[in-house]
Amino acid sequence: MAQVLITGMGAISPLGADLPTSFARALEGHCAIGTAPANISKWLPDILLAPAASEPAALLDNKHAGLDRASQFALVAAGEALQQANFPAQPENSRRVGVFVGIGFGGAHTLDGLYDRFQAAVNSNGKRNPAMVHPLSVPRMMANAAAAAISMSHGFKGPSNTYSIACASSATAIGEAFRAIRDGYLDAAVVVGCEAMLTPGSILAWNALRVMAKPHATDPARSCRPFSQDRSGFVLGEGAAAMVLESAAHAGRRQQAGLGEVCGYGCSSDAAHLTAPSSAEQVYAMQQALADAGLQASDIQYLNAHGTATPSGDVVETESIRTVFGARENSTLAISSTKSMHGHLIGASGILEFALAVMAMNSGSLPPTATLETPDPQCDLDFIPLHARHGCTVNAIMSNSFAFGGSNVSLVARRYPS
Amino acid sequence: MLEEIIKNYLINTKGKDAALFDDPDLQVSALGLDSLDMVEMLFEIEDRCGFQLPDPTRYPKMGFAEMLADIEAAIRAHNNGEMPDLSLEAEQ
Repeated sequence: MAQVLITGMGAISPLGADLPTSFARALEGHCAIGTAPANISKWLPDILLAPAASEPAALLDNKHAGLDRASQFALVAAGEALQQANFPAQPENSRRVGVFVGIGFGGAHTLDGLYDRFQAAVNSNGKRNPAMVHPLSVPRMMANAAAAAISMSHGFKGPSNTYSIACASSATAIGEAFRAIRDGYLDAAVVVGCEAMLTPGSILAWNALRVMAKPHATDPARSCRPFSQDRSGFVLGEGAAAMVLESAAHAGRRQQAGLGEVCGYGCSSDAAHLTAPSSAEQVYAMQQALADAGLQASDIQYLNAHGTATPSGDVVETESIRTVFGARENSTLAISSTKSMHGHLIGASGILEFALAVMAMNSGSLPPTATLETPDPQCDLDFIPLHARHGCTVNAIMSNSFAFGGSNVSLVARRYPS
Repeated sequence: MLEEIIKNYLINTKGKDAALFDDPDLQVSALGLDSLDMVEMLFEIEDRCGFQLPDPTRYPKMGFAEMLADIEAAIRAHNNGEMPDLSLEAEQ
């Protein structure tokens, strides 16, 4: 079986227009959360959002202007990762290079725009025909639009697969790409998670689910409060993150250094409740990932938690982590939820958080749970409250992504060379 | 107006060389438009005139001027022989 290396990473997130900026701002404890624009706040005055730090279209060639916003984010993040990996376009072994994308809700901007336009035409006193819809609406909003755009832009002719598993979408994409390379089906893959649904229609739907954070009394930016006694839910974000994964042999032939080794992937399903998590299968996902990596729990120094700041989700995840890693007094594991700063990017969350964890591993600087002022006694682990921790020795990391629908994914990476 | 809308779309959105349109014998096939490009281009007009133009696969076999004349004829046929103000419709 092949060793699978990360040779490039990228992101466009609420924290920054690239991954180094996003990581630096996470270490600063910067919370990129704010009030919603007028077209949303007029219906939901208390709703909070974490928009991307930059408009994706401004970072792309004009030929991509017509793509859905999620696909534009994907292209930006993939471009950064491929550039860092010095990965060629149209590679000679293009059929051995795949594209693996995770996305929760494909085409939200296109769909919302379509309904807006329809509504305007209906109300135009016959001046516009509501039936006139842009002919590329379907290819723009199909879930695999981002994978198609990356494959076509870079000439990768291996599988271009899209995984839609809510909050675990891009973590699954990493895991499946990891297996495809490890087991010899591919030499390399670009993995992307993307999400862009800060639209009125989407936000109304999320608000109806009653999982969104309420504004913090004094500082709305600090409203997402994972593992805190006063947590009230999550804040939706948008953006993308990307990784280039390749076999050690392939990277070696290109003389490309590894940024880390993906070494463990575990996945499971609760088979219980649509939204309420259950601990047993979260534990199993983490244990699978450790076994896959050939590591013990004590070999992991940092864990980027799913940590959405929902009342039950954080308690159940704490219980699961405690089961796998031991109680605080018996463990040196440091944990944080970076969602406190960048919000919840749904389909893009898994890969963004895994990328931040890999950067933490390589730098020895661990991003905090930036808003953890008053820990919930039920969340009794070391959740790195308020401030980043520097000078840490981190040999291996884990990242958790637990999705609506009961899908659980855990990923493990270790330093390379070890 | 019809010609300007289509030319502007092809130049500004599809990146076609403006000098191409100086040739009175320009063929649609010389514009290098695939089937999706063609329906996108026609949508620029359809959105303004409020109906779907028939059978876009005919156009690649035509000259550019012939295509414009054909589209104009279709619009007039849909509007009792009149040509609507496309720019005004587009702003509404």
